[in-house]
Amino acid sequence: MNNYAFHVLRVGMAITFLWVGVLIFQSPEAWTGFIKPWVADILITTPEKAMIGTAIFDIIVGFLLLIDFWTFWASFFAALHLALVLLVSGIDAITVRDIGLLAGALAMAVNLWPENKNTRSL
Amino acid sequence: MTALAILFTMASLGLSETAYLIRKRKASELPVCPIGEDCVVVLNSRYNKFLGVHNEYLGFVFYAVVSLIAVLLVVGVGPRDLMAYFAKIMIFGASFASLFLLYIQWRVLKAWCFWCVMSAVTIFVMASVVLTSNITIL
Repeated sequence: MNNYAFHVLRVGMAITFLWVGVLIFQSPEAWTGFIKPWVADILITTPEKAMIGTAIFDIIVGFLLLIDFWTFWASFFAALHLALVLLVSGIDAITVRDIGLLAGALAMAVNLWPENKNTRSL
Repeated sequence: MTALAILFTMASLGLSETAYLIRKRKASELPVCPIGEDCVVVLNSRYNKFLGVHNEYLGFVFYAVVSLIAVLLVVGVGPRDLMAYFAKIMIFGASFASLFLLYIQWRVLKAWCFWCVMSAVTIFVMASVVLTSNITIL
């Protein structure tokens, strides 16, 4: 991946994760609507607490991506998280955009795969 | 909400940029100048320090505080009016500092630094947001 393109993608992805984390913190109960009933049934905690955990995760991932620290692991877990979101909330008119985010996170993780670090440094 | 989202986005851009410059300075490496070639001239000039602290460190703290205030205003934690007032003071102070540093690049150093100009633009966008909207209202 082109050096500048990678960093544009990284910062854009970081801001998205950070802002989503903040919005979940604002009203975690509203975000529980995205959790499918079959997922809510197998949760080991309340849906609100699960959403707060998600918000913390999103903010950590977003911050790591933003400052370009542990970027491989941040993008790897971002991709894993987005795949999980698509699984537990299904694909509807809103969550369909997560497919693009998942592709972006995967692209960064693949680009930073431990054997392929040559295109990273700015 | 829109104003706070823009403030947060701008502050995040600034955090990312200053984190890059800090990392380069700590590693004693030259930062890449995406446009032009004068970044090093500006970043290594005596004007890149205030009270002995490099501007990128001051910028990082500024952006971190503004983004934190934006987050607290969105989440609804803390004294809303006081935090918004503090953010406005900081942003206007940073705007004047950016104007001064742009003048220094233009007339004194006669060299332009991509990262410094980008930071100034970021701060001017923040200033225009707080001038044109009430950030205490969600």
